[in-house]
Amino acid sequence: MLLKPRHRDDKGKAQVASGQTIDGQAGRRWRGGIAMAWRWITAILGGYGFTVAAAMLSARILPAPDASARIEATGWPMLLSFLLYAGIGLWALHEVRLGRISMVIWGGALVMAILLKLLGVRA
Amino acid sequence: MNGTGMNDTGAQRGWRQTMAWAHGWLGLIAGWILFTMFLTGTSAYFRPEITRWMQPEIHAQAASPTQAANSAIRYLSRVGPDDLQWYIYLPDERTVATRVFRAPAKPDPRHRKAELDLDPVSGTPLTARETRGGEQFYRFHFQLQLPHPWGRWLAGLCAMAMLGAIISGVITHKRIFADFFTLRWNKGQRSWLDAHNVSAVLGLPYHAMITYTGLITLITMYMPWPVLMNYAKPAQFMQTAYGTPADVSASGVRQPLVAIAPLIRDAERRLGGPATRVIIQHPGDAAARIAIAQAKRGAISSRTPVATYDGATGRFVSRSGDPAVAINTAGVMLGLHLATFAGIALRWAYFVMGLTGAAMVGTGLLLWTAKRRKPGAAPFFGLKLAERLNIAVIAAFPAGMAAYLLANRLIPAAMEGRADMEVSAMFWTWGLLALVQLGLPARRAWTALFGIAAAFWAAIPVANALTTSRWLVPSLLDGDRLFVAFDLSCLAIGIGFAVAARVSARPAPKTPGRSRRSMEPAHA
Repeated sequence: MLLKPRHRDDKGKAQVASGQTIDGQAGRRWRGGIAMAWRWITAILGGYGFTVAAAMLSARILPAPDASARIEATGWPMLLSFLLYAGIGLWALHEVRLGRISMVIWGGALVMAILLKLLGVRA
Repeated sequence: MNGTGMNDTGAQRGWRQTMAWAHGWLGLIAGWILFTMFLTGTSAYFRPEITRWMQPEIHAQAASPTQAANSAIRYLSRVGPDDLQWYIYLPDERTVATRVFRAPAKPDPRHRKAELDLDPVSGTPLTARETRGGEQFYRFHFQLQLPHPWGRWLAGLCAMAMLGAIISGVITHKRIFADFFTLRWNKGQRSWLDAHNVSAVLGLPYHAMITYTGLITLITMYMPWPVLMNYAKPAQFMQTAYGTPADVSASGVRQPLVAIAPLIRDAERRLGGPATRVIIQHPGDAAARIAIAQAKRGAISSRTPVATYDGATGRFVSRSGDPAVAINTAGVMLGLHLATFAGIALRWAYFVMGLTGAAMVGTGLLLWTAKRRKPGAAPFFGLKLAERLNIAVIAAFPAGMAAYLLANRLIPAAMEGRADMEVSAMFWTWGLLALVQLGLPARRAWTALFGIAAAFWAAIPVANALTTSRWLVPSLLDGDRLFVAFDLSCLAIGIGFAVAARVSARPAPKTPGRSRRSMEPAHA
């Protein structure tokens, strides 16, 4: 999937890059519209899910030998999470290939969620 | 990974171009709400001052924290001896009243208003006109007058869009230094771009700071999730992080509270500054707890250290320890956002920076439409919609804010339900103006609404003079700087809108349209 040539989403690319609507038949425009909606949904909702999972995972795996270290391990991922959210969201608006965006963001969130499930709450 | 987007698409389709596109859409969609958030949030730097102006019946009476706490507890013991908890906010140099909040054991549905202002000297409830005061703009700033929790989520989403727009805007922008000095007046679209760049570049550190710290103010709502991975009981995080002693439960044995004055003196000695807040759990019970908080002078952090006492004996129980670095950082971010640490000069600087934020968002919104308008061609629907929303937000919303302040002076002071009527005045004015403008061509609508906003703001000092004895001249003679500054600020804002009305009435400059000179790929 990741190595697939990028011609599949080339129409999306033209749209992303210049903000112009696609010309061509109604069907192509329709598909372009759905692709664009999916891109924004992935950026906003998927980006949030990805960020939540990443913040939870880093909170869980940062070393916390004592009570105050545990506060740090919990607090810093919370404080820095918005930077990650902004970064991943903007990347979803930048990257041309929708498949790659979906894989990284939705797939990454899912993988991290599974890891969180396996790790469980810190004892 | 198979290369970055940059390599894929070549320099011409690199980050700068995609970010220009993202910047344009993020800014447009969130911009209308962000503009109102910037204006109301900016006004909230003077939240207590606005409240004081809106209750002109109350005259400042200096009282020490000890005196204020004493009188408040006397009052609360009379009206709510069986309450679960009392919150007492002591007056300081910016507020004149003691604010108390009761958590009754059995909430009384008839007596909804649990928050009350007390005279700090006598402890009796202050009788002044009913108003939400500066609280209205402050709450709108992050709740957008929507039901809980939707307003806060929407405000958070807009703040994230703002963060994204700032980052993408900086990436888009290559000549950040040159744009300091670039402002070409009266050149149509070019001028809007310059104005947008100047306000954005000059204010960049402030805009970035205020956006990020704004997200942090509601972090326990937006991003509480990491707590779930490290604490089986999430409440435990707050307890260990803030060093708050665990809640006590009532013993059921009645015992009066000890005198508060010695405790406040003791707490001020231990914490090293004047007490600002007293929280009493189970007052009148043998297990009562008294927590006294202090605002750190000269410290930015809004995290306040707390000393806790046994309410029945006065025995010192604990003081909050030095918190973890992350918690301190959050406290500093919160403090930077709220600016409660700031003295009067710095608070005005914040105010001006807040206005540059509104100007940046406003000029960005205008740029979006200016860029898409083609001379001679009929505007497409989206352009017309954006233009009308721009008028409704940039010109009509400030008029609504003025209407709120005007209503405070024009609705009779003793009228029942007047606080809600003031709020209604704000939104009816805003809504009606937003609709009425549709009857005018866009250019005339700009002029008309700016004119109305100018008239409303200029009318505030007039209404103040007609309905109170605290208008400009007596206030000047009394040396009442707050009332003088308020009237003059309203006048200045009115003049600003009058200028805007004049400028917008001038015939359109020859727009270069989509200029032949290569525009930097700024802003879609």
